[in-house]
Amino acid sequence: MNAREEAGAGWRGYALVAPALAVIALFFVLPLGLSAVLAFRAKDGGLTLEHFAKSWELYQTDLTFTIGIVLLSTVLIGMVAILVAGYLTLGENPRAVAILRWLYRWPLFIPFIVTGQIMRTFLAKNGMLNHVLVGSGLIDPLAAQSVLDWRGIVIAFVWKQAPFVTLLLAGAMASLETQHIEAGRNLGAPRWRVLVDIVLPQVRGTLLVGLVLSFVTMLSVLSVPLMINPNSPTMITVDVAYRINTHGDYAVANALCLMSLVVAAIGAWFYLRQSTRALARQR
Amino acid sequence: MKIRQLLVAAAVAAVAAGTAALPASGQTLNVITAGDQNMVDYVNNYLGPKFEAMNPGVKVKAVGTGPGDSGSQKIYEKLSAQQKAGTAAWDVDVAVVHQRGAATMVNEKLLMAYRDDVAAGKLVSRDSAKNALGANVDGYVLPMFHSQIAFAYNPDVVKNPPKTFAELAEWAKKNPKQFGYNGVKGGMSGVGFVTAWVSANSGIADKLENGPYDPASKAAIDKSLASLKDFNQYVVMTPGNAGTLDMLNRGEIAMGPVWVDMFYTWQADGKLNPKIKLSLPSPGMPGQPMYYVIPTKAANAAIAKKFIDFAESPEVQADGIVKQFNWYPGIDPKFVQAKLSPADWNKLFTDISPADLSKNGRPFPLSQYFTDIVEGYERVVLK
Amino acid sequence: MSATHAAGAAPMGASASPALPRWSRVLAVGVLLALLAFAIFGPLANLFLWAFAEKWYFPNKLPQEFGLKFWEQVFAPRGNAIASLGTSIWIALLTVVFSLAVAVPAGYALARLRLRWRSLILLAFLLPQAVPNLPVYVNIARVFYEIGLAGTVTGVVLVHASHGLVLAVWIASAAFASIDVSLEEAARNIGASPWTCFRTVTLPLAAPGLIASAIFVFLESLDEFTGTYFVGVPDVTTLPLLMFNASMGGNYQIASITALLLLVPSIGFMLVVERFLKADVLAMVGR
Repeated sequence: MNAREEAGAGWRGYALVAPALAVIALFFVLPLGLSAVLAFRAKDGGLTLEHFAKSWELYQTDLTFTIGIVLLSTVLIGMVAILVAGYLTLGENPRAVAILRWLYRWPLFIPFIVTGQIMRTFLAKNGMLNHVLVGSGLIDPLAAQSVLDWRGIVIAFVWKQAPFVTLLLAGAMASLETQHIEAGRNLGAPRWRVLVDIVLPQVRGTLLVGLVLSFVTMLSVLSVPLMINPNSPTMITVDVAYRINTHGDYAVANALCLMSLVVAAIGAWFYLRQSTRALARQR
Repeated sequence: MKIRQLLVAAAVAAVAAGTAALPASGQTLNVITAGDQNMVDYVNNYLGPKFEAMNPGVKVKAVGTGPGDSGSQKIYEKLSAQQKAGTAAWDVDVAVVHQRGAATMVNEKLLMAYRDDVAAGKLVSRDSAKNALGANVDGYVLPMFHSQIAFAYNPDVVKNPPKTFAELAEWAKKNPKQFGYNGVKGGMSGVGFVTAWVSANSGIADKLENGPYDPASKAAIDKSLASLKDFNQYVVMTPGNAGTLDMLNRGEIAMGPVWVDMFYTWQADGKLNPKIKLSLPSPGMPGQPMYYVIPTKAANAAIAKKFIDFAESPEVQADGIVKQFNWYPGIDPKFVQAKLSPADWNKLFTDISPADLSKNGRPFPLSQYFTDIVEGYERVVLK
Repeated sequence: MSATHAAGAAPMGASASPALPRWSRVLAVGVLLALLAFAIFGPLANLFLWAFAEKWYFPNKLPQEFGLKFWEQVFAPRGNAIASLGTSIWIALLTVVFSLAVAVPAGYALARLRLRWRSLILLAFLLPQAVPNLPVYVNIARVFYEIGLAGTVTGVVLVHASHGLVLAVWIASAAFASIDVSLEEAARNIGASPWTCFRTVTLPLAAPGLIASAIFVFLESLDEFTGTYFVGVPDVTTLPLLMFNASMGGNYQIASITALLLLVPSIGFMLVVERFLKADVLAMVGR
C-alpha cells in the first residue's frame, strides 16, 4: 500500500488544505466580490452602470493605454526571453553562455518599486541613458528627450519581467531531450531553425504560462507608473489610487478595477487552459 | 550547519530591530501630517526635539500621509473610522491638514474646538483662521503657516518672465516644452496653477473665490479648461511638486509653478541652482494655509494643546517657520517680524515683494468650485 | 539517451560551417553582451551614483560632490529609515511564519495525498496569480478600515501572507513531490507513524525547497509596495514606502540609499539560490 493511497481518507487531506483555502477565500475571493458589489451599487442601493460610464468618460485614454502598454511589454518580453533562452540552450561559445547566464538574472531580484526609482533617474532627459547616447555621439544633444512617459513604463516592465520569463523558458528548454536538438543540428539545420522549428513548439506551454503571468502582474503594478509618469496617459492603476486617495471614490475605483479584471481574465483563460491541460497530461 | 546558524542569527537581529522600532514607554504625542516630506521633517527634526527638551518624558512621533488633498483625505479616513467604531481614545493627537480636509472634518464633528484654550489663539489675524474655502472652521483650527505658489524660472533662458497668463500662453507657444507643471494628480502646485488659469480665463474669478456657488458656472469653467488643454500641448507634465523643481534644476524645463517654501528650502539644501528666481503673475496664484487641528477624542489632548501653543509662539514661528523652513507665518506677521533680523525677514520677499503678495496672492476657490475645476480638468483636458 | 541538465546547458556539438568567420561572430556576440550588460547594470550604476552624490546640478554628467551626508541622514537616530527597515523585516518574518504554517500542510496534502478535487484546489491556488491584485488590496483596505485593522502590522502581514501563500504552496508542493516516495515507504514499513515519518524523513528532505519558498515569501514581503500603500498607511511605514515617499519628494539621494538597502537581501539571495533550488524542484513547480 503506497503512501499516497493510505491517507486516502479524504477528510485528513482536506483538513490540511483547509487553512490555506480559507486564507484565499477571505483575503482574495471576498475582496473581489466586494469589488464587484461596489462597482455596481448605486447611491440608493440599487444596481447601476453609472460608475462604469463615469470611468469610461474620464479615463478611456488611460484604459486604452494600459492595455497597449501591457500588451507591447508582453510581446517584447517574449522576444527577449526566446532570444536569450535560445542562446543559452543552443549557444556554442561556452564563455558567452556562462556570462549571459550570470548576466540576465540580475533584474529578477530587483523589486518593481526599486525599478521605478532607478528608471526615473536613468531615463530622464538629462539622465544617464541620454548622457551615454550623447557622449558616444549616437544622438544630437538637442535631440535628447525624456523617455519618462509610456515608453519608460514599457522599458521598466520589460527590464524587470523578461528575466523571469527567460528563467522559466531556459529551464523548460534545458529539460528537453537533447536528441531532438542534436538530430536537427546533425541534419545541418542552422541554430535559429532548430530554435523555431524544434525547441519552441515543445516549450510553448511554458512560454505561454510565463507571458500570461507577466501580463497579469504588469496590469496590477502601481509603483512603476506612479514613479515614472503619473500623468495621463498612464496606467489605470494610477487612476484607481487617485480616485481612492483624493476623492474616497471606491465606486469608480472598483469599476476601473473590474475593467482591468476583464482584460486579465482573457489572459488568465489562456493560463488556466494551459495548466488544466498540463494537469490532465499528468494523470 | 552554518546556514542554519546564520538564519538564526538573522532572525534574532531582526526581532531586535523590530522591537527597537516599537515606541518606548512614557507619553507619546502622535502627530500626523499631510503634505510633502518637509512637513514630517519639520516636526521630527525641529519641533519634536525642542518640545521634548521642554517636556521631559514626552516623546513626539510624526508620521506623514503624503502631499495634496489625498494626504488630508487619509487623515480624515483614519479619524472617521475610529469615530464609527466608537473608539474611546483615538490614536492621533495633533493633525496637520489642508483646508478642504479641515472643512470636512469640522462638518463631521471629528475635531475639537481648542483655539480659545491656547494662548497663541489670540495671535492669528487672517481670515483663513476662520474660513476654510467657504466653510466655517472658527475655533477648530490654527494656521500653521501660509504658503504661496509662484512661478520659478531660469533667468538665463527666460529673460522676461510672463506677467500674465496670456503672456504665459504666448511664451509657451514660442518655447515649447520649456514650461512644466504637475497636473492635478501630482500635488497641489499643479492644482493651484490650474485653478489660477481658470480664474484668469473664465471671467468669474470673484465668484470662484467668494461665492455663491452656482452649478451653472461649470460652463465657464469648462471653457477656460478647453484653452488649458490647448496650452498643454506646449508644456511638459512633471511628476509632482518636487518633480517640477527637480526638472528645473536639471535644465529640463525653464519655468514652472512651485511652492515658494519648497523653492527656498531646496536652494538652501543645494538641491536647486541658486540663480533660479520667482515671479508672481497677475491676476494671481493661490496659496493656502495648513491647519493644526486636534481630534475630538485625542488621547493626549492636554499635551496636544501645549504642543500647538508652542508651535504657534512667535519665537518658533520666527525661527522655525520663517527662518528654517521658509514659510510665511501662520500668526500675524507683525509678531514674527519683531523676532527676526531684517535680513532673515526680507529673505522671504527677495523676488516677490509684500505688495506683490497682497495683490496677487489669492486663496484657492471655494470647495465646490474646486471640485468642479478638478473634475473638469479630468473631463475636458485629459481626454 | 536523454539527459536532463540544469538551466543553462553546456553548448551543443559543432554543426555545419557558419556563414561568418569565427572572429567576427565572437565580436558580434561580445558587442551584444556588452550592450546587455549596459542595459542591466547602467541603471544600477546610476543608483550607486545617486546614493553617493551630495550635489548634482545640470549640466554635469556626474555629481559635483560626492559624500556620505545623506547616509548620515538615513541612519540618523531620529531618521525613519532604521525604523522602517525594522518594520519591514518584522513584517516579512511574520509573513513567512504565517505562510509556511499554512502552506506546508497544504503542500504536503497536495503532493502526497489523494484528494478528489486536487486539480480544482491547485487551480484555486493559481487564481491569485491569474488576477490583478489591485482590486483585492483596495477592498481589503476598506474592509480593514471597518474592522480596525488598517494601519496595523497585523493587517499588513495578512495582506502580504495571502499573496505569498500562493508561492509558498506551489513550492512546498513541488518540494514534497520531488521526494522519492520509496524513502517514506521504507520508514513506514519499519513501523514509523505518519507523523514520525513526516518529521524525520519527509520534512528534512523537503527542507531545502521549503527554505527556498520561505526566502521567496520573505523577499516578496520585504519588497511589497502596493498592498502596504493601501493598508499600512499612515502608521506602518515599510522601507519600500519610505523609498517611494523620498523619491516623490525629489530626494533622490535618500531614495537611492533606501533602494540599495532593499536590494541587499534580494541580491544576497540571488547569489545563493542555486544551493536551495535544485533543478528538479524547479521542474516540479506547477505540476
